[in-house]
Amino acid sequence: MPLLEVENLKTYFKSRRGDVRAVDGVTFAVERGLTLGIVGESGCGKSVTALSVMGLLTPNARIVDGAIRFDGRDLTRLSERELEDVRGRQIAMIFQDPMTSLNPTLTIGTQLTETMKRHLDMSTDAARKRAIELLEEVHIPNARQRLDDYPHRYSGGMRQRVMIAIALSCNPKLLIADEPTTALDVTVQAGILDLLEELREQHEMSMIIITHDMGVVAEAADDIAVMYAGQIVEQATAEDLFDRPEHPYTEALLGALPQLEGENVREGRLTAIRGRPPDLVDLPDACRFAPRCPYANPNDACARHNPELREIRPAHLVRSAHPASERAGALAGADA
Amino acid sequence: MAVNPEEMEVRQDVVRRETAETSSYEAGAAIRQSSLWRDAWQRFSHNKAAVISMVAFVLLVIYVVITPWVVPYDPNNVDFSSAYLTPTWSHPFGTDEFGRDLFLRTALGGRISIGIGFAATFAIMVIGIAYGAISGFAGGWLDNAMMRFLDALYGLPYLPFAIITLAIFGTVNFWTMVVSLTIASWLTTARVMRGQIITLKENDYVRSARAIGARWYRILFRHLLPNTLGVVIVFVFLELPNVVLGEAFLSFLGLGINPPKASWGSLAQDGYQQYLSHPHIIVIPSVAIAWLILSAFFIADGLRDALDPRTREAA
Repeated sequence: MPLLEVENLKTYFKSRRGDVRAVDGVTFAVERGLTLGIVGESGCGKSVTALSVMGLLTPNARIVDGAIRFDGRDLTRLSERELEDVRGRQIAMIFQDPMTSLNPTLTIGTQLTETMKRHLDMSTDAARKRAIELLEEVHIPNARQRLDDYPHRYSGGMRQRVMIAIALSCNPKLLIADEPTTALDVTVQAGILDLLEELREQHEMSMIIITHDMGVVAEAADDIAVMYAGQIVEQATAEDLFDRPEHPYTEALLGALPQLEGENVREGRLTAIRGRPPDLVDLPDACRFAPRCPYANPNDACARHNPELREIRPAHLVRSAHPASERAGALAGADA
Repeated sequence: MAVNPEEMEVRQDVVRRETAETSSYEAGAAIRQSSLWRDAWQRFSHNKAAVISMVAFVLLVIYVVITPWVVPYDPNNVDFSSAYLTPTWSHPFGTDEFGRDLFLRTALGGRISIGIGFAATFAIMVIGIAYGAISGFAGGWLDNAMMRFLDALYGLPYLPFAIITLAIFGTVNFWTMVVSLTIASWLTTARVMRGQIITLKENDYVRSARAIGARWYRILFRHLLPNTLGVVIVFVFLELPNVVLGEAFLSFLGLGINPPKASWGSLAQDGYQQYLSHPHIIVIPSVAIAWLILSAFFIADGLRDALDPRTREAA
């Protein structure tokens, strides 16, 4: 049984114009000890998916339908109090901006021990000792002295390390990292990703990495789900997805990546994806990517109704009427 | 293997710290104390107006507290032979129509004025913070209801509101004065606190706290309220002169503390009738009131710049 199973999750936001269907029927599973990457552009629903799992949605959002089974329990049915016991203890989350995620008026030590005292019934001394170990685990030098520092004495990368230490302090089974490296310098990003991977292994956790950066998932994820307009449009193992992307959107995303070395080094301008994602209040019946899809034409079935997510080959799901391997001439290029 | 620049930086940091430690541990400890408050104090002490006001404020408080212990006169002793004396060495502020020493009476009046000021400010802070924090933190219909109630109270003008409250009590003494001034002026503090809490609530660290399973009281008392401290301190020094002025105004209208006790407002009222022939009787308490109000405002201004340097840079 997978650690986390999200089934047909629908999270809608109330708005004056009607419901904003931010997450609209998302299904995925996170296996024990593996990392799932969720990729997509801004507003595709990836963060809302994560917040739904955590039960941290804002008051104007609600889970309309679906189940979130974590370790056999449906989180959508838990009360706020029960959820509070799960958060931080079983599922931990780190956020995008480490510069603002720490309280400036509390020392690093206070914030690190907060979780342990909350969930593990530890004494202050024991929690402090553990906090020092945790800081060492995330490679913060002089952990013992730095414990009593305030956050403003830490750099961005170090703060994200502290956030990771806080997230790990109760040995959660699942770590959700929402854009963990987006706010950081490129040079620091790789270090944080390496650290996450190292700690995931040590603590035998599962992980969900949410990002808009294909480079990040390529490095960190075992499985990848690509989201578009509130739905998963393609899901596969990382290797398969990068080697043989099926959905035109995934192809376009990969086409928009700069390539600096290797056989297909790109010259000239990067290809941008034309158009904009659809309005999530007033969604068409057609395929949500159709207006931007280079292969769609008005006579196709996908102009009338949204294709279902189907298994195009083992462990590779795609939601498109025009996956790469079914296009004319695809057979010749498939194994290239 | 590619060298990760951050790792490099970390390693250098280790080296630096280790050398620092072997040379002198105390040096490291001294740096550690450069905290938020230390920085704020630095900025405050570079603000001349604020520092001068702080000294002026402290001098005034010292005068008010010490004088009644060292001056040999009886504040209520009527002696018509020494009435209306202009300031001399034996009576530095002169005497009033009953021959009472004004140096002593101004100090005693200051005790009452400043005492009411501090007591009412304290009460305003407690009520305003509690009300604003609950309203802002709860949000939703409760917030709405509490704010509409506040709007309704805002409709009543400040001084008439205080006068009505005093009238309901029927007597005027130190504590009824404090209560009526508090009731008339806690509204703004509550509003500002609500705004603060709502802004802070959106902060990432509040979301992070919720993400580790922190309960609401922990978030409110540990993560939100301490972060409003800067604003609260500034507000203390903004409310204090308001309350003192309000009390002086009420006393000047004859609604203040009963004679023979006096506050600055009623001292000014005493001098009002003879302001042409004996101007010192009205000038002295007026200067005292102005002294307190101006110094408090400049302190508040300096504190605001010190605690939130961004407002200064933007200006």
